[in-house]
Amino acid sequence: MNEPEFASHEWWEAYKETVNSDPEMAVRGHDRFDENFYLDIGDERVLIEVEGGRIESIVPNPTLNHQWSFGVEGDREAWEEFVRETPPAFNHEIIASHYRSAVRNEDGHLRLTGDNEKIFGNLRAFQRTLDLMRVAHNDGGS
Amino acid sequence: MSATHQHGDVEPIEGKYVHVEIEGVDHRIYVEENGPADGVPLLCQHTAGNNCQEWRHLLADEELTDRFRIIAHDLPYHGKSVPPTTGEWWTEDYTMTAKRFAETLVSLADALELEDPIYMGSSMGGNICLELADWYPDRFRALIGLECGAHSPGFYIDWLDHPQVNTTEVNAYACWGLMAPQSPEQARRETMYLYEQGANGVFKGDLYYYSVDHDYRDKLDQVNAAECPLYVVNGEYDYLTTPEDGRQTAEGIGEGAVAVEMAEIGHFPMSEHPELFNAYIAEILADVTGDREETLPEVMTPEDVGIELHPPAPAREKPAD
Repeated sequence: MNEPEFASHEWWEAYKETVNSDPEMAVRGHDRFDENFYLDIGDERVLIEVEGGRIESIVPNPTLNHQWSFGVEGDREAWEEFVRETPPAFNHEIIASHYRSAVRNEDGHLRLTGDNEKIFGNLRAFQRTLDLMRVAHNDGGS
Repeated sequence: MSATHQHGDVEPIEGKYVHVEIEGVDHRIYVEENGPADGVPLLCQHTAGNNCQEWRHLLADEELTDRFRIIAHDLPYHGKSVPPTTGEWWTEDYTMTAKRFAETLVSLADALELEDPIYMGSSMGGNICLELADWYPDRFRALIGLECGAHSPGFYIDWLDHPQVNTTEVNAYACWGLMAPQSPEQARRETMYLYEQGANGVFKGDLYYYSVDHDYRDKLDQVNAAECPLYVVNGEYDYLTTPEDGRQTAEGIGEGAVAVEMAEIGHFPMSEHPELFNAYIAEILADVTGDREETLPEVMTPEDVGIELHPPAPAREKPAD
């Protein structure tokens, strides 16, 4: 089976399935994760709508009619490193990547935006959701 | 390191409490040790907000404990070292400073009557090597700073001690990406489990030292590695104090300071990948004791120390059926 192209429609569908079948998202209070967040992959924005630790929907190009609490921004190359099976140092996890951007002022990494209280209020569930992009990318979500 | 145990196996690690005077106050400090009483003392410091269990695989290493008397302690307020029983500590925020941290380590070495000990610590325990070589260069035989740098800003974060945040989990998983994805998941998860045992506000209080009080950018010339050899040993995936930060720190110190990068490991090497770390650190310790003839390489790889990463790439986490 050909793996779908990163961040294509098929890829996001497989990703949603990966998140919604992940055992860790259902335990330790992660099933209370209820915050929507967006991902900027280069110039493309995708909204991830979350309810009860599950992805309800994935919305390309969200508008003023949508709501989100926080987001992650980065160029496509940084995201492609992030989802690699063995990701390179400093683009291997969201806090790592944000730290190199925000504290060390380096280019080529991801950056967190939005409500920090909600980010830290949901940190592990959010972080796990992002890490599952790597799982979906390398397994095809099946 | 033995990966598996049989029913009835007893690990020869022993624990005890030693009373140590720090800033004029008695503290009851928990220490674990293994190795011969006349072995070379090796005092091991845990990372911020954690405890001595991070060192359990080094303490259980049969080859190293043949030669070294390995000792790991819990700092006051960490693990089994309760806060001092005098003073109303609950009325103030716990805050670690460089002065208190260095005094604690020297006072502990004195209380245990350690002769010419090697000191080794990671993260905050790595950074303090610079203060120890600056203020107490005659107390230790050598200093091994794991994940050590002149400056490590940006981790004194208010959310790590906040009523709207589940700090039990967040203080752990804020550190998740400090570990290499190659490290075995079981060991990485145990490292997080250890973080989840920290008392309220202690991780953040330690990070005051780590990210605020510790700043040697303009005073590396005061670090006396000529008298006390200093090894700066940083992991490839450590985004707080990178291997490059380590090289610059050693260069800034000059005589007596050596930087070695550990490939394919991160900021909690002893607990995130014990098998690989124990092999790496055996090389460093052999250099300290003069048993190694060649100069240490700038970068050590798993292949160099005969460790095959298994699985060779990180295990693919399969989604549930």
